[in-house]
Amino acid sequence: MDRLINGVLFENMVKGGAENLYANKGIVNDLNVFPIPDGDTGDNMYMTIDSGASAPSSDGDGLGEVSAHIAHGMLLGARGNSGVILSRIFAGIAAGLEGVEEADIKTFGEALKKGSAEAYNAVSVPVEGTILTVFRDAVSFAGERINAETTLEGYFADLITELRRSLERTPDLLDVLKEAGVVDSGGAGLVYIVEGMKNAVYGEQITRTDHGAPSSAHNINIDTFTSDSVLEFGYCTEFLLRLQKSKIDLDKFDINEFTELVKSLGDSVVSFRDGTIVKVHVHTMTPGVVLNEVQKYGEFLTLKIENMMLQHNETVIENRFEFKKENVRKKFGVVAVASGEGLKEMFRSLGADEVVDGGQSMNPSSGDFIKAFEKINADNILVFPNNGNVILAAMQAADMYDKSVIKVVPTKTVGEGYSALSMLDSEGKTADEAAEEAEEYAKGVVTGFVSRAGRTTEMDGVSITTGDFIGFSDDVVYSDSPDKCAAASVLCDKLDAGSFDVIILLAGKGATDEEAERLYDELTEKYKDTEIIMQNGGQPLHDFILVLE
Amino acid sequence: MFVIFTDTDTDLTPKRAADYGYHLISMPYSYDGKTIYPYEDFDEFKDKEFYDMLRGGVLPTTSAISKEKYLEYFEPYFKNGDDILYVHFSEAMTMTFTNMRAAVSELHEKYPAANFYTVDTKGITIESYIIVLEIGELYKAGKSAQEIIEWAKDNVLNYSCYLFADDLKFFKRSGRVSGFSAAMGTLIGVRPIITMNAEGKMVSIGKERGKKNALNRLLAYMEEKGEDVKNHPIIIGHTDDDADVEEISAMIRAKYGEDTNIEVVAANPTAGSHCGPNCLGISFRSVKRD
Repeated sequence: MDRLINGVLFENMVKGGAENLYANKGIVNDLNVFPIPDGDTGDNMYMTIDSGASAPSSDGDGLGEVSAHIAHGMLLGARGNSGVILSRIFAGIAAGLEGVEEADIKTFGEALKKGSAEAYNAVSVPVEGTILTVFRDAVSFAGERINAETTLEGYFADLITELRRSLERTPDLLDVLKEAGVVDSGGAGLVYIVEGMKNAVYGEQITRTDHGAPSSAHNINIDTFTSDSVLEFGYCTEFLLRLQKSKIDLDKFDINEFTELVKSLGDSVVSFRDGTIVKVHVHTMTPGVVLNEVQKYGEFLTLKIENMMLQHNETVIENRFEFKKENVRKKFGVVAVASGEGLKEMFRSLGADEVVDGGQSMNPSSGDFIKAFEKINADNILVFPNNGNVILAAMQAADMYDKSVIKVVPTKTVGEGYSALSMLDSEGKTADEAAEEAEEYAKGVVTGFVSRAGRTTEMDGVSITTGDFIGFSDDVVYSDSPDKCAAASVLCDKLDAGSFDVIILLAGKGATDEEAERLYDELTEKYKDTEIIMQNGGQPLHDFILVLE
Repeated sequence: MFVIFTDTDTDLTPKRAADYGYHLISMPYSYDGKTIYPYEDFDEFKDKEFYDMLRGGVLPTTSAISKEKYLEYFEPYFKNGDDILYVHFSEAMTMTFTNMRAAVSELHEKYPAANFYTVDTKGITIESYIIVLEIGELYKAGKSAQEIIEWAKDNVLNYSCYLFADDLKFFKRSGRVSGFSAAMGTLIGVRPIITMNAEGKMVSIGKERGKKNALNRLLAYMEEKGEDVKNHPIIIGHTDDDADVEEISAMIRAKYGEDTNIEVVAANPTAGSHCGPNCLGISFRSVKRD
């Protein structure tokens, strides 16, 4: 067996880790995949390890004491999801080294395993494909290879080999990473830390430079959240809470129950207890509620709340991260044409990647479709034109575009398009098969429209008065009435709506809530065996669209 | 002596538990900062109230219970010299059993003579419920823990459950159903059909347009996969969907005879937090699950 690890060496290792992460933290920041989930992973992890590495030097202390000291420093400085997990890794390592003066590789390896287990414990719902997985894989790989001949350098080489391999596997475990074409940022930060620790193992004397704490205030762009913005991601909220005897019975305090409480108020919860200090990281829409609730248990030592929609200014990075992968191409993409916010949203929530604005009153061009194809970046793209006048432009775009297999499903109404898309399951199918299936689903669908008549005339045996509402389907007029609900109701009768399974009623821009409700009630009363669903389509031109499936 | 346990995720109520002598482990859910343990924090589950709250936009979360909780449940019986058989909901859907094992191994050191057995129903709500009832009968008939475990090995997969979902928001959020294509979102008028597979996981197996078709499809599975259904319990479970309960009961009776025995259960709130309102399912004795 090789030399032993003492307190001085371990302290030097952590410093080395901090320095190397500092040098590379821009690269780690750049790996953030979410709009801005959590601030920047690189900064957060650096601030965490820095507050461990800058804890006052402890010359002459044993390994156990030094590691406890460092872990405590990290606890106080931990921020961000990955930072908090990192601090738990070191807390676990410290627990594994408790009372140890000097550790051999085997003891050290076991302590690292403890670090991994402790990190898993701290997270309410451990997610694979993150720093958790990367660290666990590495300590288990390197641990298995320890034998009588293993040197400390060899052990660290094994750790780093597997850290990197596991990091490259993270996109296979976590779809968000694959879609963003990156590896996990927390895992990447860990790679830099362990590489820095290795420098110390090789005898490099690490000198710490005071980089100062990067204040998040000056590198965020507050213009990214304006008076028109809608809070979508909530607040990243972090605090250290000192449990108070005056408030609770410390012996009965259960961190699991406390965590459940926090989880009910937000997500991405990481929390743990260290003596009478509780560290919590949570994403929540209502930080005030969280603070009020937890203050029942103690008082705050530190507190940080950040709006997650504020975009941090991009750090300019010269060297691209070597693990960065090509933007992943989707297997299937969907383009649908619709107008009206409600209708567009319906298509989006059904899984349309791009909704091209258009329809009866405004037909999109082939160029509009090609732009949508470019954005989607998929092997196969299905197009739902949803209007007879749009099908040709879509087909022409499909002919012109050769970077994807494009299939146009010739849906003539939004009803056909919606119905086909809601039943379609493209998984495991070729573009041809999926398009064929979608076309099949669209076949049985009847779409009726109610619009205001533009002139007085007689059509299909119905006398039409300007200003009245007419009900029509497939270019045949079935009803005319000064009341739009009556026009819709008669149209339904003529189309034998009661024989269908489902009627989806899309209220247009021109229909009031009261009118929509009146029609809904009337149809529900009339067609007892049919399921009737009312949606706000917000479409122009058609006061009501009735989708009969 | 041995005592039997199950958990509230199997839909067993204290009243039905008493019919067989089951002890109940309460699986919690949380919302608005409150964590609620079914039948510990309330006596009777008011399903209508609960699912109306979900309709109103509340999205509860659920969590694993702690090791300490398991210690509280199990220790008194081990102390007493009893063995325990725990018939639980699907291990493939939860992490809570890690805490359970930690508790049991701690208790084993203290009570080395005590035996702890488990049966994984590879289901949740009515998929588990039907198995819990069958095992309850065996227990009442005086079968030993070994005999019950042998029975479970051969029979657990012979109970199937098919259900339809309404608002996929709940399922998608919980991440507990596989097979939904990534694109699938809010489906209007279309109901995904879900079953529990042999691994004890929920999988989506297709969609039906309109409620009638969805109900017909559930019944079709019962006819296709059912095996000696009339001599075993038939369970209808729902998340506040009374009208459809009536309808499918009538359909089952029309097919299997007016004397067919059907038990209707309200899906427990913890599992219901992951399903949302307006879901309906049936479970029955069947050929082996896929």
